[in-house]
Amino acid sequence: MAPIKLAHLRRALALRGLTPASAVPEASGGRTEEACLRPARLVEDAALAWHPVGTSEPWPGTLAFLDGVQRSELLAYAGAAPIVAGEVAAAVRERSNRNLVTVLEERRLLVIARPAALAAAGALPEPFRTVALPTDEPPHPVRDLANVARALDRARGALELELGERYRRRSEGWLVVDGALTESPLWAADPRMLGVSKSHATLPFEGDDLDRYLRLPPGHRSSLYAPETRSLTPVREWALRLWPWEGKDVFHGLVRIEVAPANGNPEMADRLSRWLLAERAPLSTPDHRWDRLLYGIHSVEAYLRADGRRLA
Amino acid sequence: MSHPLPPVGRVVATELKPSTPHQFHFWTARDTPIGIGAIVRVEESGRVVYGVVTDGFAYSDLVTPMHAVISADGDPVAAGLEPSQRAEIRLFTAAVLRQTPEEPLQPVPLGAVWLASDADVVLALRMDAYTGGERATGIPVGLYAAGGLESPVYLDCDFLLGPEAAHLNITGVSGLATKTSAVEFLLGSIFQTFPRHKGSVAALCFNVKGPDLCFLDQPAGLTDEDRRQYARLGLRPEPFAEAHYYAPFKADGVNLNTLRTHESLARNTHPLVWGLREVLDYAEVVLNRDDVDAKADAFIDFLAERVVGREYQDDLLRGKPFQVQSFADLEEFFRAIFDFMEVLGKGGEVWKTHHLATIRKIRNRLSNISTRSKGLVTDDGAAHDLPWGAFADRSVHVVDVAGLDPLAQDLVFARIVSKLREHLERRDLGVDHVVVFVDELNKYAPAEGADTYVRKMLLDLSERGRYLGLVLFSAQQFRSQVQRRVVGNAGTALFGRMDMDELSTPAYGMLSPATKIKLATLPKGELMVRHPHFTQPIFVRFPRPPVLGGREGIERFPPAVELPFADAVARQLRGLDRHVSADAVRALIDGRREDDVRRALGVTRRERPDDVLAFFTACLGRRVNGEVVASRRTVPAVRRGDDGYGF
Repeated sequence: MAPIKLAHLRRALALRGLTPASAVPEASGGRTEEACLRPARLVEDAALAWHPVGTSEPWPGTLAFLDGVQRSELLAYAGAAPIVAGEVAAAVRERSNRNLVTVLEERRLLVIARPAALAAAGALPEPFRTVALPTDEPPHPVRDLANVARALDRARGALELELGERYRRRSEGWLVVDGALTESPLWAADPRMLGVSKSHATLPFEGDDLDRYLRLPPGHRSSLYAPETRSLTPVREWALRLWPWEGKDVFHGLVRIEVAPANGNPEMADRLSRWLLAERAPLSTPDHRWDRLLYGIHSVEAYLRADGRRLA
Repeated sequence: MSHPLPPVGRVVATELKPSTPHQFHFWTARDTPIGIGAIVRVEESGRVVYGVVTDGFAYSDLVTPMHAVISADGDPVAAGLEPSQRAEIRLFTAAVLRQTPEEPLQPVPLGAVWLASDADVVLALRMDAYTGGERATGIPVGLYAAGGLESPVYLDCDFLLGPEAAHLNITGVSGLATKTSAVEFLLGSIFQTFPRHKGSVAALCFNVKGPDLCFLDQPAGLTDEDRRQYARLGLRPEPFAEAHYYAPFKADGVNLNTLRTHESLARNTHPLVWGLREVLDYAEVVLNRDDVDAKADAFIDFLAERVVGREYQDDLLRGKPFQVQSFADLEEFFRAIFDFMEVLGKGGEVWKTHHLATIRKIRNRLSNISTRSKGLVTDDGAAHDLPWGAFADRSVHVVDVAGLDPLAQDLVFARIVSKLREHLERRDLGVDHVVVFVDELNKYAPAEGADTYVRKMLLDLSERGRYLGLVLFSAQQFRSQVQRRVVGNAGTALFGRMDMDELSTPAYGMLSPATKIKLATLPKGELMVRHPHFTQPIFVRFPRPPVLGGREGIERFPPAVELPFADAVARQLRGLDRHVSADAVRALIDGRREDDVRRALGVTRRERPDDVLAFFTACLGRRVNGEVVASRRTVPAVRRGDDGYGF
């Protein structure tokens, strides 16, 4: 598909009396999260413990990686209400003979604004879909842009869910998801899915347990625990240290692994951890998150960002 | 244009690596048939661009080698066992061969890339201008092959044999049969495909080493793959139907100085023998640069115009006229001059305005050639030469100078090329075009060193020969060591496997590093071709020549052992008439002077009579038996006592 020229769209909106704009909203590059503590319930050990997982082992059978990306750009203002064009995309790349190949991909173009602003913008060219922002508060450009970011997050999450379910319909292989499984009850119960979270904005322990959690040695995992989730999708989690952290940062190489309860036993946690340790190579450089970013996930992101920007 | 095959790549352009009207870059899948030298087609928005791949790159998303070490924990074995392969790129650089439309000339569009088909190769190399129609002038030079596709590549004979451009030069390391094989294959191709409307063509090859060109008339054992390639090129894998060999004698004057002495090959193996007249016309060749001065020239001219082949009368030298036909006659003439000067004493330093030192110098040089080239230069004046004026269309003439002294080789080159030139100028050679093949060009036209007669002659041939139909095919191991103008005038150049030292010289600066590497590792039977119609060098492969190679030829036709004088004479005569009995010849020449036999043999060879033995016998003349001189009756001495005067 040829890129859609936003300049043309801005000109059309200007003709309709709107005020064209082109600043890039802050936080448009990824999900927004707030730092918080959500104490979890240990399901292994009486107190949080470290467990060596053993030597890395290659992942047996087919393995696929799912991730998504988003970006947005300010189009215009209808009065004080911003109108933002956004693009969300997700893909699944499956590994076969060490080669990662895209097996599923979906992209969507969105125009996000308050309903009135969308109405003022008039008919939008295909394939834009409109996403209406909540109207429970009066227009405020900064607050509306934050709402736009959340709307994009949701749209991207929905797309990832859709692709994850489509992949499960076509394959019984393991699917590694960038982030949490709790986005979907289906994912949370899937015994062949695994979520890898790089973000530690939400921490599962406090006090001495948190100290111990953050000082996990390399090649070790934490005790299994059940996180407190907002939705009714129970999962099991543990932390895994992929790379030595000392001399760097307590979060360096620390990932949070999320699996369905069926896999929430120590043997499975050790096995999956060993498989994940093997996925440290190759490094996902030059991404600055390389210490926590699996190469497969990096490959999906690189693919989505490289393969055509639909907005130009 | 329809595309039966899917594209193999896509043009990419960045600010640092943009597409230009002369170069573009494209990426392909990791497993790609594209290689250095592949011809590709780019098509986008009505513009078609043909290019040849000149360089290739591969890299991954690895930022620094250190990251590879870290991810493998410093273990090279583990590095190969990573669960996922890094994203990699195969990026190729191609040089533009042709664009359509040609105007306006624009940067290569960022379109899909296909491997070139047969039709694409024709267009890419501009062969459409000369390979179609009733007056096509294409000469197959080999097969371009890439990605399972194979297309014939043609040279334009107007640019190979003139008149538009001409000459061909081949460079390649020795020992891989590239140069000799290439020229044998190409001559065969020319003979089969040179269009009739362009006239007739013959070839004259100098065999300068070993048995390389000694078996052009003998078929080689070809593989099925060779035959398939010949069929693809539209050629018949046949040896040269009309091949003639010429070789001087060895010093004995009867055994040929060549490796082609097997009796079954004698039919078309002829002696090459020249007399004083033939040598004197090219005396400049045997003079070094210090010798060449006006005085020497004047004396040589005097000999050529007034003495040799004429009756020269000088009563001061001797009473009867000189009849100088041979080196022996000339030596007698010189002797007479020196005797005369000696009689004059101190005042005798100039003879007919020629200084005695000049005369001595010319005499030394000429006698030197007759000594060092004994076998090529006959003393009796009977010459056996090439068939000047009777060159047949599609005939090849091989002059074997491999066993000759370098001075004699120079003489042979100079005289034969000059004679070709004279006859072509007069249009009475028998053919319209002659290809002259000279190997080891760096020896005969070196980039550095004295400006010899042969080098000047080769330079003249390369600069002006095409107007006459005289075309130089030359070969050497190191092009950089050949006179630049000689190779520079070659419109077409072939390159076989090359030495990296040679490739590092400035002359190859226009080649990409990848092309140089390909040239340095080129397998036998592959060549890089430069031709005026091709804007970039093209790689082709050619089948094994249909003629027997030197080494195989020697095994199948081992040279005859050097025969005793009588047997060698018998073999020469049997070459003229196989019914001649060796015993009869032996009996006939027993007790004869060898010079007399050689003279008779020479006349017989020249005349080629019906009854060879009878003619030879007649030439030998009546045998003069030795006589025992009977004691004569003597007049008795006068007795002392009878002396009336009392002495």
